[in-house]
Amino acid sequence: MFSKWFQMNNWSIRDKLIIHFLLISILPALCITLFISWTVSNILEKQSNTHLLQLIGNVSKSLDVQAGSIQNISYFISMNQDVQHFLDEGSVMLQEDEERIRLHRFLQGFSTLYSEIAGIMVVRNDGQYLSNDMYARSNRNLAEEYWYHEAIAARGIYKIIGHPVNRNVTTHVNYKDSEIVSVVRAIQDPDSGNTRGVVLIDLKLRVIAEMLGDVKLGKNGYLLVVDEIGDVIYEPPYTYSFVPNQYEEWQEQSSGSFNVEINKESHHILYHTSPFTNWTTVGVFPMRDTLQAIKEVNKYLVLFFFLLCVIGMTASIYLSTSISKPITKLASMMRKVEEGNMNIPLLSDRKDEVGMLGDSFRHMIQQIKKLLMQVKEEQLKKREAELRSLQAHIQPHFLYNTLDTIQWLTRKEGADEATEVVGALSKLFRIGLSKGNEIIPLVDEIDHIKSYLIIQKTRYKEKLNYSIEVDEQCTRLFVLKLILQPIFENAIYHGIKERRGPGNLSLHISIHQGDLRMVVKDDGKGMDETRLLNLKRALFDKTIEHDYIATPTLSRGGELVGYGLRNVQERIQLTFGVSYGISIESELNQGTTVTITHPILTQKGSDQHDESVKGYHS
Amino acid sequence: MKKLLFLYLIVILVAFSFFYMMFIRGSETERLEREVGLKGSMDEKYVMVNFLTGIDYWKNVLKGFEDAASLLGVSIEYKGSTQYDVQEQIIVLEQVIARNPAGIAISAMDPTALNEAINKAVDAGIPVVMFDADAPESNAYAYIGTNNYKAGETAAHKMAELLGNQGEVAIITLLNQQNHMERKEGFVSTIITNYPQMTVVATEDGKGDLWSSEQAAVKLIEQYPKLKGVFVTEANGGIGVGHALMSEGKVDELEVIGFDTDKGTLDMVKSGVLSATIVQGTWNMGYWSLMQLFHLNHQLVEPISTQQNTGVAPLPIYIDTGVSVVTKENVEHFYVK
Repeated sequence: MFSKWFQMNNWSIRDKLIIHFLLISILPALCITLFISWTVSNILEKQSNTHLLQLIGNVSKSLDVQAGSIQNISYFISMNQDVQHFLDEGSVMLQEDEERIRLHRFLQGFSTLYSEIAGIMVVRNDGQYLSNDMYARSNRNLAEEYWYHEAIAARGIYKIIGHPVNRNVTTHVNYKDSEIVSVVRAIQDPDSGNTRGVVLIDLKLRVIAEMLGDVKLGKNGYLLVVDEIGDVIYEPPYTYSFVPNQYEEWQEQSSGSFNVEINKESHHILYHTSPFTNWTTVGVFPMRDTLQAIKEVNKYLVLFFFLLCVIGMTASIYLSTSISKPITKLASMMRKVEEGNMNIPLLSDRKDEVGMLGDSFRHMIQQIKKLLMQVKEEQLKKREAELRSLQAHIQPHFLYNTLDTIQWLTRKEGADEATEVVGALSKLFRIGLSKGNEIIPLVDEIDHIKSYLIIQKTRYKEKLNYSIEVDEQCTRLFVLKLILQPIFENAIYHGIKERRGPGNLSLHISIHQGDLRMVVKDDGKGMDETRLLNLKRALFDKTIEHDYIATPTLSRGGELVGYGLRNVQERIQLTFGVSYGISIESELNQGTTVTITHPILTQKGSDQHDESVKGYHS
Repeated sequence: MKKLLFLYLIVILVAFSFFYMMFIRGSETERLEREVGLKGSMDEKYVMVNFLTGIDYWKNVLKGFEDAASLLGVSIEYKGSTQYDVQEQIIVLEQVIARNPAGIAISAMDPTALNEAINKAVDAGIPVVMFDADAPESNAYAYIGTNNYKAGETAAHKMAELLGNQGEVAIITLLNQQNHMERKEGFVSTIITNYPQMTVVATEDGKGDLWSSEQAAVKLIEQYPKLKGVFVTEANGGIGVGHALMSEGKVDELEVIGFDTDKGTLDMVKSGVLSATIVQGTWNMGYWSLMQLFHLNHQLVEPISTQQNTGVAPLPIYIDTGVSVVTKENVEHFYVK
């Protein structure tokens, strides 16, 4: 069934065109749509990645700035003369009111200017400390705390402690450990390199929270800050339970991105590590956020595609119909013609190929119609001529019988000349009748003309001389009957009779160039050019109405010429075609030569024309 | 033609089902931040404006403000004059108003000087509340703070208890500051009405400063030999007076009631230099200030109208954050654990 369906040749041209148009409109549209979708999603992903990385880089930078200013504060504190003095002498110097208050004011200055600082503390290497807002919880030596050691280990370089837990330090305002980030820096003796003390600055984590909270990573993304060992410094209250220290990726590069699977959902992780703080700012956002943007693009693309489909379908159906409809119309018209209805309606006045085809077809039909008419007409004419010749035969039949009787009577009376004439006449009529056969042996035709000449000779006596010469090979041939007699009649009446003195008539029958040729020559009066032209026109000009045969009023002074010759011409041409017939040459006072060209008929029934003629008579 | 219609129908159906699958059902993606309770955004910036921004007293207020901001998920800023300078505070406040924050909590250094700026903020549609130090004639929506008059009364009763209802007392306060003046008045009138055998002999200006207060105390001690007690309305002043007593060797002779609970004051209470200190609900001031501002900003209160138009206050216009007395007996509770 499918193989049948796939045979393209069985499809209608309309279906083929529809499929074709759909293929060339919708297939590329689909390809383009898919390609655009693919490209856009790629670009979007890349763009949002770069954008977010930049964003995270900026956050990381502002964290650096924050850290930088804290570092500066720690330097500023360690450079202060009073602080140096405290480090030299310990809390003994705090007994001095003036110095104590000056230090208090100095440190208070920082909390005035930096509200993000939760507390500042300067610890001497023996555990004595100096602070406005912080103090030791217990008597445990602060110089033995882990953060103090970390500061020493960093050798004067700024060190951030992300999770300052279990410190023997508290602030008056009771910031919890989870609410602060601690920054420590050892104050070193420039000469000996020994650590003289440590500056401890507690930074409110809130500052980081506000910095990160301001940044929106799509709809559902968030930022978190991770320290160098992967512990979370800060993350927002709602997270995707992303545990950063499971991943090693950011150890390798300072910034980049990768994908992870959290709770069976794909998440994109972007990170940027600051070389200053060694903190990594990490952006976590679900892939579906990016997908959302891509989806938005796809929505329009799909809409566009469906619109294209609808337009493409409409266009393809319209186009294919406009092509196939006239063809179908033409085909149905042809079928009608096939059924015999020649009267086809005029096609629409379209100028395209189908219109041209229709025009040609209509033209062809017209031509056929014309030809049919012509055939019909010719048949009719032939029949008419035959009828007339039949009519001409009936009377001679009666005459023939009568003449036989007269001949018998004359012979009885002994009138020999009369007997000869009557015999010739009788023969003339008999051959003329010739049992109704249209084709007769050439010998009979010659007998016929001889009989005619005997009669005429009786009348014209010495004035008429004649000779008949028939080539040997011609004697067995057949010819159309009574074609010579009208020519002889013409020659006698218009040639010999008009001539002074005796005239000669000759008939020569031969085969010339594959045709039978009968040449009738007289040395009679002949014709001048005008007459000859008129005669020729009467014989050859087809444009002259056909019914002139019935009313031969055409040629003045030579009506019978026209009639007799014309009759012969018509009969030959109707029977054998226009390549046969009569040709005339004449010269005034010299004579006229009439040549009949006749096909070679070796037997009576060899020609179809003959059969039809025979059929008509029987 | 029927075929064509059928084809169109199929295309449209496919389109619709596709869109349904892709966008109607797909849009039901849950958001990470669930909207539970009150929730603001980090774009909202609430500003606290006060004076002498560096002093320890504010740190607890700021902590309350910060804690509330953390709960609500909003951002805050801490601003104010660095000096004891009302002009500076006005300038800072103007600057803050110009940035059109989500709300401003103000502690007024002067009860009247800031009115113009405060009203300007309220007119600009910025929610404004006062904390700790009120500006009563301004259009601010509410005042959150200590009933200073009552704090003064409390101090007077404690002083009377410490002195056995008799003797000369003096006050070291901050002149020209509403809250301190109220404390002083509460103290003075209570002494006059309740304790006829006690007299307030002097009122000195401590300028909110350790050094000035110390000087003022020394002066008082020299001027009034019979002086039995000193009420200091301000934290730094308490420490200053304590230092004065220690340097003059009069720790055992004078009963001093301080104010607030910074480390220095608590240490002095613990060591007996100060007999008592009045503790305020400073954390509450910050916390409820932000809460009120948030409610105003988000129009969570009924009627939603401005005080000026209807005379109906959209918020409790006064929240008393209360006071209590800290002595050697209960001082341990006030240290941060």
